[in-house]
Formats: sequence, structure tokens, C-alpha cells
Amino acid sequence: MDILAGLIQTALLAGGVLALAALGEVLAERVGVVNLGVEGLIALGAMTGIAVVSVTPEPWLGMAAALGVGLLAGMIFSLATVVVRANQVLAGLALTYIGTGLASTLGKPFSGAPAQATFARLDIPVLSDLPFFGRAFFSSNILVYIIFLVLPLALHYLMFHTRHGLNMRAVGENPAAADAAGIPVLKMRFWYTSIGAALAAGAGGYLTLAFVPSWSEGVVAGRGWIAVALVIFAGFRPINTVLAALLFGFITALGFVGQARNWPVAAPILAMLPYAGTIVLMILPVLAWQKMRRLMAAPEGLTQPYFRDER
Amino acid sequence: MSTWRLQRLPAASPLVSLSARLISVVLALVTAGIILAATGKNPLDLGAQVISSTFGSSFGMADLALLFTPLLYTGLAVAVGLRIGVWNIGAEGQFNLGAFAAAGVALFLPGPPALILPLMAVMGMAAGALWILIPTLARAYADVSELITTLLMNFVAALLVTYVATGPWLDPSGMALATTARLPVEVPAVWDIVHWGLPVGLILAVLLAVAFGFTRWGYEVRIGGSNPGNARYAGMPVRRHLITVMLVSGAIAGLGGMMEVAGTVHRLQGGISNNFGYIGIMVAVLARAAPLGVIFTALLMAVILNGGIILQPQGLTTQTVLAVTGLILFYAAIGDEFARYRLIRNAKPAGTR
Repeated sequence: MDILAGLIQTALLAGGVLALAALGEVLAERVGVVNLGVEGLIALGAMTGIAVVSVTPEPWLGMAAALGVGLLAGMIFSLATVVVRANQVLAGLALTYIGTGLASTLGKPFSGAPAQATFARLDIPVLSDLPFFGRAFFSSNILVYIIFLVLPLALHYLMFHTRHGLNMRAVGENPAAADAAGIPVLKMRFWYTSIGAALAAGAGGYLTLAFVPSWSEGVVAGRGWIAVALVIFAGFRPINTVLAALLFGFITALGFVGQARNWPVAAPILAMLPYAGTIVLMILPVLAWQKMRRLMAAPEGLTQPYFRDER
Repeated sequence: MSTWRLQRLPAASPLVSLSARLISVVLALVTAGIILAATGKNPLDLGAQVISSTFGSSFGMADLALLFTPLLYTGLAVAVGLRIGVWNIGAEGQFNLGAFAAAGVALFLPGPPALILPLMAVMGMAAGALWILIPTLARAYADVSELITTLLMNFVAALLVTYVATGPWLDPSGMALATTARLPVEVPAVWDIVHWGLPVGLILAVLLAVAFGFTRWGYEVRIGGSNPGNARYAGMPVRRHLITVMLVSGAIAGLGGMMEVAGTVHRLQGGISNNFGYIGIMVAVLARAAPLGVIFTALLMAVILNGGIILQPQGLTTQTVLAVTGLILFYAAIGDEFARYRLIRNAKPAGTR
């Protein structure tokens, strides 16, 4: 039981990166923009977080800086894809290249050194003393509670129980109709894509300030791409998304436990699991959940730039 | 007074879009130069250093050719996919697997080079095709986007190569830390250290240009890419073409990996793919997926990559080159859209002067 509790605790910790980045991607894709730059945004945020705490050892400041850099990068990306209406795949790949390359170049001085300040574990009084559940669910850093509880519930409420959320989804499904109904399509796309990018970079801050916690080239290791895949798997829904991220955190945690306990499987094979698992999860729903397809489908207007004068 | 307005065209004219691509390259280099200048370096001096080291000596030219070769293969691999509307972001992984399979043949199969080398090439191509098989079937039969599946396979491939090079296939002499032993066979040289991978790649580009330009297959692939609905209606086997094209794309990247390990590096090691697959996407996009265009854009990207290597003492890395590549891609994406606009003069209403 103790192993399982530790496994869940680690799964939450590891899954937090994916969950936060994927929630950001949900926002962007719901208004009709695919952001394939998540991998690069995580790298930028991760490097920024470390760089800031190396000057001022305050994790919240590092996190805020990561979010700010992400917002700025997201606004540049939105300018290209929403305002100029450039190809989203190309611009997204470009963002991944720029983010990864820039973070590696600028992050060199911090490479390998441990973070000067991190988000410490926060035991919730009373609850953390519960047997099994205490360690598994109530003994993580504060960001874990925000990412797995506060954010998904808030986003779910916003998207499915408010007028604004309905407008938001309309923009992603049918921008022309939304425009006719007086919803500011480009404004919505611009800001939700930018905020989504900020969350992705925030996931990077989480990676280096709460999870690893240090910066090195390649520390992101494809998590951005897994996050993009998770969003599809989770049917573009915030609560499903964090649950899917938890599943992936679990796979990663299995790798750690396997290494620590010397399971007779080579470490690289265990390290391959999240990537192979993601591919399986991308294919599985199509084969198994035929009936749910409509419910889990991507927004109709995804990747389609919107031109008002084109009829 | 006549008025002017912008008109958006369904497709940009080739000349305008070509100029847009060239401008995007220049803009990206200027942006990188400004960032360098902001960090207290003189970008013009650095640029001059790159040009003189690259083109000023036969060593420089040979180094350039060795970077040009793998980019030719990965660029062609991505370009072939784009012809039918497929984003093969996995050339990096297929390149790794090609190198892996070729090294395996060379290390463990004794025989005359005349027999072993062709076998290595075949196995390299087969491994590359195998590495894109699952994304191919998922795309063809379940309509799963190949963008993410091909990319995720890259990480698996990188882990696999690093694992065998540091584990089971580690150089038994104990001299190397993280590579296999030197391969007993090598791709013969054509000039200095430049090996046959280069001319073979050039021939491949010409063959592909002919296949796409002058055969029924190439025509059907192109239509299948630009308008799959119409192609299917016209009775073209779009799904079969999709599968063939994706497997060919993987095989080309795999062959590139074989040439790299057997012609340039001579040992299998982690990171042998060196971002060639990712930069290959840039090569193909800049060339607008034209095989002959790939020759020129691969050369251009090789110069930029070589520049990054020359400037390594200045604190740059191949990752810096990746960032510059991203800048080019970013400007190219914007330029593509701008290239579609045309300034036209509104016609004067009849009866006015």
C-alpha cells in the first residue's frame, strides 16, 4: 500500500507539468487555434523560472516570470496565426524550435545546477495524517492542488456553465456564426491562445521549480507534444484533461519506481513508456469509442483561420 | 480619384512566394544578428568569420558537404510526405533507426563490403519505413493525425540508440564511453572526406522530381494531397498512395541515417541525428516540397548549421541554430500569407471622370 501511495504522490507531481500545459492547449483549441509550440513554451518557461530564482530565490516570482514570458510568446504567436492568419502548423513548429533553441542557448549558465528556490511540500493539516490517502493526495506542493483541483473546475465552469464560455466554444466551432452573433472572434482567439501559451510556459516553471528541480538541455523531453496529444484524447475537456495527465504521471512514476527498485527492465525501456503510451492512447479511442466520437470531437473550426470577407 | 484595395488570392504566384521565402531567411538572420548585437557581439564580424571559414578552404567546403548530405535526405523525406499532405515530423527518429539498423548489420554480419554496404542501405531504409509504419496505419485507417505520432516516435528512437550505444553495443575495447566500435565497413569517398551519400542523395532528388513531375503516380499523389475528396471520386487509390508515400518518406530518412553512420560518423552514438530531421522540415517547407528545390534549401540550411558549429567558441550551439531555423519558419509562415495579397485598383464606376 505504501508503494501505491508513493506512486500516486509521484504521479500527481509528474503529471502536473502535462496537466497545466494541456489545460492551456484546451483553451487555445476550444477557440479554434492549434498551438504546436507547447514544447518550446515549456522550455522557455522552465529556463525563465530557473534564471529568475537564481537571482531572487522566490519560487512565486520565478513562476510569475515564466507565465509572463509565455504570455508574451503567446501574443506573438497569436499575432501570426490569428491576426495575420498564418498557417498554424508552421507557426507552431517555429515556436517549438525557437523556444527550445533559445532556452538551451540562454540557459547554458544554469545548466545542471539545482534550483535556488522551489515550491516546498505542503502537508494539509489533519488530511495529510490519514492513512494511505494522506500521503497519496494531501501531501504535495501547492501548485499540484491548483493544477488538479482549482484550475480544471474553474475552467469547466467557465466553458460549460457561463455565457462567455458558450461564446468561446462558438468561436471554435463556427467562427462565422459567432461573428454574426456579435461575438468578437479575433479578440477571443487572440487572448485565449495567448493565455493558453502562458499556461504552457507556466508548466515549464512548474517543471524546474517544483518537479525536477533543475534546468538542463532536453529536460522538457517531449512533454509538450504529449500534452497536445492528451487534449485530443481528453476530448478537449478540462476535467478529462487533468485525469489523462494523471494517468501519464502514473506511467512516468512507474518508470521511477522501476528504476529505484531495480526491476529487471532496462531504464531506457521504462523511459519509452510515456511516448509509446501516448501513441496507443491516440489510436485507441478511435477504435474503441466509436459511439462517443461526436462528444469527443475537435472543434469544427480548429486550424481554420477566420476571414470575415470570405463567403 | 481611383481607390486601392487589397485582394486575397486563393494561391500566391510562385515568384511572389519564392521572394517571400527568401525575405524570411534574410529577416531571420537579421533578427538573430540583432539579438547577437544585443549580447555585445558584432554580428557582421561573426558572419564574415562563418563565410571565410566555410568557403575559404577545401576543409570548410568538405565540412559543409558533410552537413549538406543528411539534410538532403531528411529534407527529401519530409518533402515527399508534404506532396500528399502528410507532415512527417518523425524524420529525426527514422534517421536514427536507419543508422541503428545499418550499424547493426555492419557490426554483427561479417562479409565483403560490396555485399554488406548494399545490405546496410536496404536495412536502413527498411528500419526507417518500419519506424513510420504505426503512424502510417493510424493515419490511413483511423484518421489519427500523423503530426504527433511521428514526432513521439522520435523520442523512442533516441532512447533506443542511446541505450544500445551505451549498453549492449558499447565499444568492447573500452576506449569509448558512449559509442559502438568503429564500423568495419564505410561508404567510399568521392572527394576528400565527402562520401557517396552526397551524389546518391542528389540522384534521389532528381528521381523524385521525375516521379512527381512525369508519372501517373506522381500526379495522383499530388491530387490526393491537394484534394483527397476529388481524387477518391475520380477513382484514385488515395489510401494506398498515402501508405506508400509515408513508407517511402520513412525509408529516405532511414537511408540518410545509414549514410551518416557509415559515411561520416563511423560509429553509432546517441544524438547521431543531430536535429537533422527537425531542420529537414525547414528544408522541405522552404523548397515548397519540390525535390529539386530541396537541393538548394538543404545547402542553405547546411551553411547556417555549419555557421553555428564554427561559432561554437562564441557560445553558440546546434540548439542556437534550431532557434534560427524556427525564426525562418516563423517568418516564412507569415510571408506565405502576405504573399497571397495583391494591391488592386478599384475600377472607376461607369460615367464618372
